[in-house]
Amino acid sequence: MSFLHINNIKKRFGDTTVLKGIDIAIEKGDFLVLVGPSGCGKSTLLNMIAGLDSISEGELLLNGERINELHPARRDIAMVFQSYALYPSMTVAGNIGFGLEMRKVPKAQRREAIQKVARMLQIESLLDRKPGQLSGGQRQRVAMGRALVRDPQLFLFDEPLSNLDAKLRVDMRTEIKQLHQRLNTTIVYVTHDQIEAMTLATRIAVMRAGELQQLGTPQEVYDDPSNLFVAGFMGSPSMNLLRADIVRHEGVLHARVRKRNEDVLMLPIERDAEALAGWEGREVILGIRPEAITDPASAHHDGRIFEAELEVELVEPTGADMYVVTHLGGREINARMRPGTDISAGTPTRFAFDVSRMVAFDPDSEARIRHT
Amino acid sequence: MSSAMPGRRSLSGARVMLYAVLCVFAVIYLTPLYVMLTTSFKSLEEIHQGNMLALPEQWTVTPWLDAWSGACIGLECNGVHGYFFNSISIVVPAVLISGLLGAFNGYVLTKWRFRGHKIVFGLILFSCFIPFQIVLLPMARVLGILQVANSTTGLVLVHVVYGIGFTTLFFRNFYESFPNELVRAAQLDGAGFFTLFFRILLPSSIPIIVVTVIWQFTNVWNDFLFGVSFSSGDSAPITVALNNLVNSSTGVKAYNVNMAAAMIAAVPTLIVYVLAGKYFLRGLMSGSVKG
Repeated sequence: MSFLHINNIKKRFGDTTVLKGIDIAIEKGDFLVLVGPSGCGKSTLLNMIAGLDSISEGELLLNGERINELHPARRDIAMVFQSYALYPSMTVAGNIGFGLEMRKVPKAQRREAIQKVARMLQIESLLDRKPGQLSGGQRQRVAMGRALVRDPQLFLFDEPLSNLDAKLRVDMRTEIKQLHQRLNTTIVYVTHDQIEAMTLATRIAVMRAGELQQLGTPQEVYDDPSNLFVAGFMGSPSMNLLRADIVRHEGVLHARVRKRNEDVLMLPIERDAEALAGWEGREVILGIRPEAITDPASAHHDGRIFEAELEVELVEPTGADMYVVTHLGGREINARMRPGTDISAGTPTRFAFDVSRMVAFDPDSEARIRHT
Repeated sequence: MSSAMPGRRSLSGARVMLYAVLCVFAVIYLTPLYVMLTTSFKSLEEIHQGNMLALPEQWTVTPWLDAWSGACIGLECNGVHGYFFNSISIVVPAVLISGLLGAFNGYVLTKWRFRGHKIVFGLILFSCFIPFQIVLLPMARVLGILQVANSTTGLVLVHVVYGIGFTTLFFRNFYESFPNELVRAAQLDGAGFFTLFFRILLPSSIPIIVVTVIWQFTNVWNDFLFGVSFSSGDSAPITVALNNLVNSSTGVKAYNVNMAAAMIAAVPTLIVYVLAGKYFLRGLMSGSVKG
């Protein structure tokens, strides 16, 4: 029995169905991140778990108990809101202690709990201030303190970092991760930022238009996307997606990709070969991560490397990496190379393709082609 | 360079004209008040000399004392003080009750929406546009049935009923922009319907409470039509008493006493403006929500 079980949950507003049957199960201590573009229904799902939105159909089980009809206050769930939602008229201590006060926890015990949480979040010196006197990062901490102090079964985070500036966001991200590891809490976290999802989650649920696209560990979702949407959504810079024909060449299955001039590039099929055999003579969409296309010297030789000479169109150094843009299969292709590599635009250069990391998709259904 | 110069020149040209015109209007506006104040401190003989704009040659507070506790209204010569307290005992409960009901209405109409909430709000809003005269007769009948006619209680009821439309409008529009996430957070924390209202919304409502109090206080205090229609004798508010005082003076008109009484009738609304304005805090909400 899983700890939190979202069982075929649907949400309808009038005639429109915004959640079309979501199935997710996580264990105690899991960090589930719901990720997807805006309007995919991730926040609605979170609100339904919290009890702030009603469930049209399906079952919500927490610790084996059906909580569909339970009032939000009685679900033993705490939530951190995007806007922090701190009570403006109360001090920081009042904000953190409000939930305990409502639950009739004696004053002395309450004060002790507030102190403990404040120490953990390093906001002890702010306890007497009002929310209006705090910076964004401090408000964020208070909002987390308010959730932590109740020691609930489940924590919900609704895009908690989206109002912070870039630097602070990274710091708070690390802190949330540390907090999760230290307290071993169960968290459901909503974000549209795939990097946040990758770094924080133990389980990622990628959603689009009210449907669950894929549920898995960050690595699974990244390396083994179940469809074209997940492949394109996760990862930055995003996965290269190009048209290719599946052909048999000298007895081996290859993906044939057009170069800019009428030449073709033949990439041997390494992965999902069994399933792709059925696609011989047809067109597929090939997915290759930028880091799977490198300069020959920095290629991982534990993969299966295939080298080819292509013309460089653009070089974008970022400091840590150098992104090299070339043209393949009618699309611009991003390759990640070692910085300092002597490459310039307009010159033919050798690219190393790690074909063992190549995936293929059905161009019509957008589903991943792999044997089932 | 050249763009700064015209700005400077306009200060010495058009600006001076503007301020001059404003000053003239301010003087015109303030003259009656000046005349009232000076007259109220003059003796009757001095008034009869006819020099209306002159300062009192001999300052006297006798007209004020007379107006407060000696002047004859109808058959009784106790001044306006009894009616002053009538007005207080009408205004205070009327403002509190209509304000609280309006706040509750606004809270329910924005945070506990039900099917048809817009229609309900529309109907409440409609009451703001009903002229006083239309409700006089039906209201008289209702007060009769409830047996509160000719009492301050009856007037409180009238003003509460009439005020709810406005107070609801104020609070609804204020709570409309009150972040829903705060309400949701409090619900998760375990706050119920009333706790949410009294602990979360109301403490953040000071700006709109001040607006409501100023509006309701001024309207109820200054009301004459309801006062004169639904009260008689001892239960009359000060506006009605003032009218009676001015009209019931036999023989010589005691202008100084009339002016002092009028000032007494006007003072509370002035005090409310001065005091409430001080508490008109802005940006109270800042900090609860990023923005």
